[in-house]
Amino acid sequence: MKKKSKWLMILMIAFSLILAACSDKTSSDPGKDKGEDKVDGEITVWVHPYTSDAKKEEAMWKEIIANYNKEFADVKVNIETIPWANRDQKVLTALAANNGPDVFYAIPDQMPQYADVGMLLELDKYLDDADLEGFVESSLVSTTWKDKKYGLPILQEAYTFFYNVDVVKAIGEDPANLPKTWEEFEAWAAKAKEKDFYALAYSGGGSMNGTIYPWIWQAGGGVVSEDNKVLINNADSVKAFEIVNKMYQNKYIPEDSITSTNQNELWFGGKIMAVLGSGIDVTMLKKEGKFEFAIAEPLKNKEQLTYGTTGMFVVPSNTDNPDAAAEFVKAITNAENQRIFNTVTQYIPTQEEAKDIFNSNEHMKQLSGYTQYALPGVIHPKGRAIMPFIQAEIQSMMSGEKTPKEAADAAAKKIEAELAKP
Amino acid sequence: MVNPNKMTLKNEKKIKRPLKQRIKDEWKKNALVYIILVPILAHFLVFQVIPFIYSFILTFLNYRIIGVSEFVGLRNWKQLFSDDIAWKSIWNTLLFSFYYIVPTMALGLILALVIKSGIRFTKLIKGIFFLPVVTSFVVVAGIWEWLFSGTESGFINYLLSFFGVDTQLFLSDSTQALIVLAGLSIFKVSGSTMIYYFAGLQSIPKEMYEAAKIDGASPFKSFWMITFPLLKPIHFYVLIITTIGSFQIFDSAYLLTNGGPNFSTSTIVYYLYTIGFTNLNFSYAAVLSYVLFAIILIISLIQKKYFGDDQNIY
Repeated sequence: MKKKSKWLMILMIAFSLILAACSDKTSSDPGKDKGEDKVDGEITVWVHPYTSDAKKEEAMWKEIIANYNKEFADVKVNIETIPWANRDQKVLTALAANNGPDVFYAIPDQMPQYADVGMLLELDKYLDDADLEGFVESSLVSTTWKDKKYGLPILQEAYTFFYNVDVVKAIGEDPANLPKTWEEFEAWAAKAKEKDFYALAYSGGGSMNGTIYPWIWQAGGGVVSEDNKVLINNADSVKAFEIVNKMYQNKYIPEDSITSTNQNELWFGGKIMAVLGSGIDVTMLKKEGKFEFAIAEPLKNKEQLTYGTTGMFVVPSNTDNPDAAAEFVKAITNAENQRIFNTVTQYIPTQEEAKDIFNSNEHMKQLSGYTQYALPGVIHPKGRAIMPFIQAEIQSMMSGEKTPKEAADAAAKKIEAELAKP
Repeated sequence: MVNPNKMTLKNEKKIKRPLKQRIKDEWKKNALVYIILVPILAHFLVFQVIPFIYSFILTFLNYRIIGVSEFVGLRNWKQLFSDDIAWKSIWNTLLFSFYYIVPTMALGLILALVIKSGIRFTKLIKGIFFLPVVTSFVVVAGIWEWLFSGTESGFINYLLSFFGVDTQLFLSDSTQALIVLAGLSIFKVSGSTMIYYFAGLQSIPKEMYEAAKIDGASPFKSFWMITFPLLKPIHFYVLIITTIGSFQIFDSAYLLTNGGPNFSTSTIVYYLYTIGFTNLNFSYAAVLSYVLFAIILIISLIQKKYFGDDQNIY
């Protein structure tokens, strides 16, 4: 009996040691010589499933790594595909535990927030002007914070109105001549309402980037500037509040637009004239094949602008191997690799010359021409923190509790309070 | 359990055996117990105790994910008192409990009575009632969102139109949204309360009903006089878990409304999640989590005091 329990104990200890060993990842990483010029060692890159085809993506990463290894043969690159869900938590917890990636994918909302607290490595010392020449100018807006570069963009999107051609015909308009200004759009919207269609989908429960921000920018307004100036209640921005309110009260947008996160059912059911869409909608619409669609250029009021996210690769400041990581960011975003990446993922390259991948794809070619108008959202460390307040005020405006001006003023007040917080 | 060591200590007060010896004896006696406890205690320590203590320390820091965090004293705690949305979220959570706890218990009990009544296809019906519990919350929430779509073509709105009711906004209406979310949770959870009640019903002795029948009690009366009071321990248990569950409600707000419209469905957990993972203010999120902890602790103590006294009825 005694002997038995001894064995049991040994077994237990062995088991717990195995468990303990599993959790430590970095210890197997050999020390990196930071001062040396030679780039070697190992880097871990966190990417996401950009398409639903994991096999194709795996091959894509192999090709990209092979290209990188042509120049830096001594670096071993580990690609880890992290699911999109809760990616923020995953990145943050891993970085907090000093156990995170050396390169990861970031979106414009995150970049200034991370950069502002010193989580990201400045890339300027690795970049010269020639490295930046080929990029579309608007794509570099989101990788820059306070005049420093913290990442390089790999993909861009441009959101613009997609029209259901059947509905356009039903209201007696010409699909080849889509609205270009707010006035023209409003006129079409009124006609659509008359024929019992909704004019536009509006996901008021989703990100403001897909709802009111494009209207604000088109009106010549803004949300908040880099130096903390609140612009959301200036005369121009209020015009955006007014048009959203008008569209809701006139039922140009569906009744559930206050909190809905998507209105795909109505859209695919042919009940909506237009949606604010991007590359993914091209894919979806082609797949569904329910109706013909036409893409318009971004609307213009005072300005011609729209939203379009930028996807970028960044390096955390606590990476063990900054040289190899920075070089990888440069390599993956060069024109050659962007062609590979964006051909598979069907996003729009941020290198002007790589846009030639869409030469045979009419819709994507059209969209890729609009990235010059695409703003990546509110570039500010509190950009995400202030969004719920703006959303709440717009919701109370839509439900009739506040006028557009009151809602904008209240949003401005809340933003100021949030900015004043440490 | 009588501890023989203690007795020796008492008898030979002066000759206290060395610590090493005592540990050795204890080890010899209970080695297996300790070995088995180690992994569980280690898990408890790493995943419960340390985070619990560390998050308390966090509340006094300006926590940085990378780099050095600075000590800020009570600043985060003070922020709580001027934060309207935090209070609104706490209030929403209380309201949610109000909408959720009693209906869940009642529905669970009714379903349990239905399957206990001996109607045909009991197993099938039990399965159907239990289905939402084992279905992924995301799926159930998706169905709920579709049912309660706030447009004319939404399913419930379509049904209501037959009764001449106007199109309701449901999730887009700040007075209705929380109730719709509570309805989702009731739908999702009452299957499991049904199982608890069903187990409780099984353990009530048949003789009691027979005696009541002989005395001429109606089924309704025997329910109120026998079934309901004898289920007291189950009531207590279900009350505790639904209460705790209601204070932790997060997923439905996250999936369906994002806390809107105008923060009317922002619950405390949802709010602390956004503070932590959207605003990256983990210190203030830790303060909120302690508020949540305090609320749950107080309510559990109250419930224990008033409802939990005689849970050893059997």
